[in-house]
Amino acid sequence: MPRIVGVDIPNNKPVWISLTYIHGIGRFQSAKLIEACKLDAYKRAHELTEDEVARIAGELEKNHVVEGQLKRQVGSNITRLKDIACYRGIRHRRGLPARGQRTKTNARTRKGPRKTVAGKKGVKGK
Amino acid sequence: MSRSLKKGPYVDEKILRKVEILDQQSRRDPIKIWARSCTIVPEFVQHTFLVHNGNRFLKVFVTEDMVGHKFGEFAPTRTFRGHTNKKEERR
Repeated sequence: MPRIVGVDIPNNKPVWISLTYIHGIGRFQSAKLIEACKLDAYKRAHELTEDEVARIAGELEKNHVVEGQLKRQVGSNITRLKDIACYRGIRHRRGLPARGQRTKTNARTRKGPRKTVAGKKGVKGK
Repeated sequence: MSRSLKKGPYVDEKILRKVEILDQQSRRDPIKIWARSCTIVPEFVQHTFLVHNGNRFLKVFVTEDMVGHKFGEFAPTRTFRGHTNKKEERR
């Protein structure tokens, strides 16, 4: 199994798909990457030659922010929003959705598991 | 949808004029602002503004990081202090 940018070990899938196992590389970026390296997208990942792996790694280095570096970038962007205390920053601090979604229902991704409040009547009970 | 680049950022001209006057006199008096939708431009950095939130004016000191945001983002319009806790209420 080839290794690209650190610990990422894509498997027996077509290169195009296996590259998406890298954090920060989706299908769109992956297709672009293959294009730039002039590879066959449907060649299996384990069939890649050393040279091809090196070419992919070089291209990633040059034109993509990926893995740890990307995570740090995202984190620092959020910290910035928190520091200037703007609306989005406040929403991040509170763990609520930051893009104007409704919070009366749903928003469970941000709010976490439901906390049932005892004695609170549902709509039906009224 | 985001604003057309052709138009440039939306900046209330009156505020810009006031800031220019203050800059000439090198003063830093707070400026009252109702235009919450006005974009913060680099000229506003280091100035203090009082941004209306529909009830009162909140003090906002503009730093470099705030450029590109709108004044309204720094003056929340809603007050939510959390739900009442039944157990605490009984006590």
